[in-house]
Amino acid sequence: MKGWDGLVSSMLLGTDRRPADFDELPEPVRERLGDGGLLDAAALATLYKRAGRKPLRDLKPLEAAGGEDRPLPRSGAVRRLAAMLGGFQTAALGEWLRTADANGWGVPPEQLPALADFARNRPEYRPLVIAAAGRRARWLAELNPEWRFLYAADVESNDPELWTHGNAVQRRTWLRALRWRDPAAAREALAEVWPSESALTRTEFLGLFAEELSAADEEFLEAALDDRSREVRRVAARLLARLPGSQYGVRMAARLHAHLTATQGVLAVELPRTLTQSMERDGIDSQNPEGIGKRAWWFHQIVANTPLSEMDLTWLQLPVEGCAPELLQSAWTEATIREGAAQWARELLVANADTGSRNPAELLRLLPREEWAQAVEALRSTVDVTELVGGLTVPWPPALGAMILDQLAKVGTNRAWARLASIAARAVPPDVLDHPITREPTGDEDTWRRRLVETLAFRREMYEELT
Amino acid sequence: MGSWDVEQVLGLASDPASAKAGQGLARPEKWSSTGATDRALWGLCQGSGKQPYQTAVELAGPAYKCSCPSRKFPCKHALGLMVLWARDGVPAGEEPEWVSGWIDQRAARTERKPGEVVDPVAAQERAARRADRVSAGLAELAGWLDDQVRQGLGAFDQRAYGELNRLAARMVDAQAPGVAGAVRRAANVVGRGHGWPGELLEELSLIHLIVSAHAHLPDLPPSLADTVQTRIGWPTETARVLANGEKLHDDWLMLGRVVEPDDRLTVRRVWLRGATTGRIGLILTFAAAGRPLDPLPARPGEYVPGDLSFYPGALPMRALLTQTDPRTPAPRPTGRTVRQALASYVEALAADPWNERWPLVLQDVRPARHGEGWALVDEAGDGLEIQAGWDPLKLLAVSAGDPITVAAEWNRAGLRPMTCWHLDRPVTL
Repeated sequence: MKGWDGLVSSMLLGTDRRPADFDELPEPVRERLGDGGLLDAAALATLYKRAGRKPLRDLKPLEAAGGEDRPLPRSGAVRRLAAMLGGFQTAALGEWLRTADANGWGVPPEQLPALADFARNRPEYRPLVIAAAGRRARWLAELNPEWRFLYAADVESNDPELWTHGNAVQRRTWLRALRWRDPAAAREALAEVWPSESALTRTEFLGLFAEELSAADEEFLEAALDDRSREVRRVAARLLARLPGSQYGVRMAARLHAHLTATQGVLAVELPRTLTQSMERDGIDSQNPEGIGKRAWWFHQIVANTPLSEMDLTWLQLPVEGCAPELLQSAWTEATIREGAAQWARELLVANADTGSRNPAELLRLLPREEWAQAVEALRSTVDVTELVGGLTVPWPPALGAMILDQLAKVGTNRAWARLASIAARAVPPDVLDHPITREPTGDEDTWRRRLVETLAFRREMYEELT
Repeated sequence: MGSWDVEQVLGLASDPASAKAGQGLARPEKWSSTGATDRALWGLCQGSGKQPYQTAVELAGPAYKCSCPSRKFPCKHALGLMVLWARDGVPAGEEPEWVSGWIDQRAARTERKPGEVVDPVAAQERAARRADRVSAGLAELAGWLDDQVRQGLGAFDQRAYGELNRLAARMVDAQAPGVAGAVRRAANVVGRGHGWPGELLEELSLIHLIVSAHAHLPDLPPSLADTVQTRIGWPTETARVLANGEKLHDDWLMLGRVVEPDDRLTVRRVWLRGATTGRIGLILTFAAAGRPLDPLPARPGEYVPGDLSFYPGALPMRALLTQTDPRTPAPRPTGRTVRQALASYVEALAADPWNERWPLVLQDVRPARHGEGWALVDEAGDGLEIQAGWDPLKLLAVSAGDPITVAAEWNRAGLRPMTCWHLDRPVTL
């Protein structure tokens, strides 16, 4: 405003030295000033300025996120989501998001920033948050660099620009989606850019081939065994080991048979003496972990990476010579998990075999879900049940959920059951949430029982609100 | 009767300054001869004078009696005593004569209307005493301002902060806490940012405006005179507001709330807008730091059917709410363009030039980047900035770039959004 600066400098120097000059002030201020002094003029000018505040011009609003929103669930469900983000029963958040998504509900958009923050360090929640963000995903990703993972939602656009010019998240997602739709096209797309990508990117992209893996990929993977990056070679070997009928499998089988023979009811093992170049090329790691000898470690990897079809289930029962039986059992466990072989898993569980670094639950997961309850029951005497069911995917099949809750209902309030109770509280499926245990009274001191019942009730209400 | 909470006690304070001062006095070492019965509390509090103040509270009213010169009801001594009592710091005892006599006297006058002063003659005398002190204080302030203007503030930043704060303390002594607050605000401007001399001049000129308005108090229209009194810090008893204040019945839409925590006191502003009258109402609530505030009358975006009793003033805005019916859902409010909204603020400013905050409901605004921060832009392309430091992510996520309705508090620093509407659903920001 004209004249204002003059008032300010008169104030700084003092009107004795610099009398205030009102001539520059706007007409309406001068008119009202009369014989007022500097502070009168300043008050008028201040109000004149404040009242005359102009709107900002030439601002460019953000581009609108295209598309439609899903309808929101009932207000109770919306409030429950806010409570979970506020720290109440937060562990059920993923279940809320999954159920809402499955029932066609959207998520209140004002919760998306909190959800995105939540998923930032919890990758398992990211797909849920991406689904929840819907049309806002890309829009939010651009607001906060820490939410870059939301770019993964872009895949729906199927835009080849994303592959050539997108950021790392967008490219990875694009390739994964293409891999689902058209594995061969994905392979070609990757082959095209392969020489110019960094080792880290090559490793990441190659890892995506785990989906829709087929014999058609073999040539590409074989070539990758000669890659200059050790990590790429390792990923390629791991994938080839999962490819039935591959040359890799043939090479492994030959190595196996050179070191292991089943004769006259005995498994005879002769540990490898050297690690050949060809073994190393096939991803066999020279460096043994602590607690296992070098040669035993090489042999372990051979067994673990040989197709199970080259072995026989009856071997599980045979006595072993030449190495510790546990070494073989742990390697079979690895092979079983790699191939997802239900029959081997069943036999290994029954044999109560040493599963090495693997949790028995990983084997149990390979069985059809309807067998879980029965298998847990059978293993109860030999395996820590909490450890076992804690490693299963949730929600459990209803039979298993009911069985564990039945058991918890019977055991009193001993603290030894607290961990199983807390696992079960999250893992039992919706059909079992109304279990009789929720209607039994719990005392204030029955900590784990009270928590269990509270969590089951919370989840039951949550499902009711979302259906 | 059951003991009260500290918040309940502080809720009786007529303004945050008394609540603060009351908490300061809620220490056993400040008091002597304290005692409590089922119906009363009393004690002696050593003030600046020779004689300690005699303070008593009748719990049923509550009603207060204090020999201090404050015209605030309850005064800081009564508040302090009650806070001390709420913390179980007042022992049971026998009512001394000066307490029981007073209470019996009060009981004898059961006909008394709410808001009527206990002893009108004494109250008038107190008011007159206070008016003299305020006038003297403001005259001193006027002289100080004149001196500064003549001699210049050139080297001011060195001594300003201390000098202004001393001056603020003088204004507290002169029982003009509103002016004291304004002077303290001016002190905080000094030396901050390049434009501080200009901002300081703005603040000082508005203080000058209060001082000169006070000098012409009898000539002002009554409502403006009330506004000036309020700015000076002359308290208005809530009982009086309820009894004599302008009353308006409406379905009051809760536009939103702003909570400002401080080290010592939390202040909450709840903004209401009448569905039929369109009138704006402001409910102020205070609580000691870290203590919960009273429950909100409604969720933002809901109607509270009831009566607002307005405090007097040229821009009647602060009010007390008497809810008459349960809150109900409300439709998305109609809003205004940025130009209309600014015009409404100009009207508010014309009525009360010291008004700092005004609620705006903006219709069909979209978020836009504005320098380091954000702004909201309406369909005509006019924008208002959002206050720096306010986290806009929730608002942005709701909008997703689409035009939305936003209710915000507006002041010179920009918009402070309170509520926005996602389609027709209110979202608290």
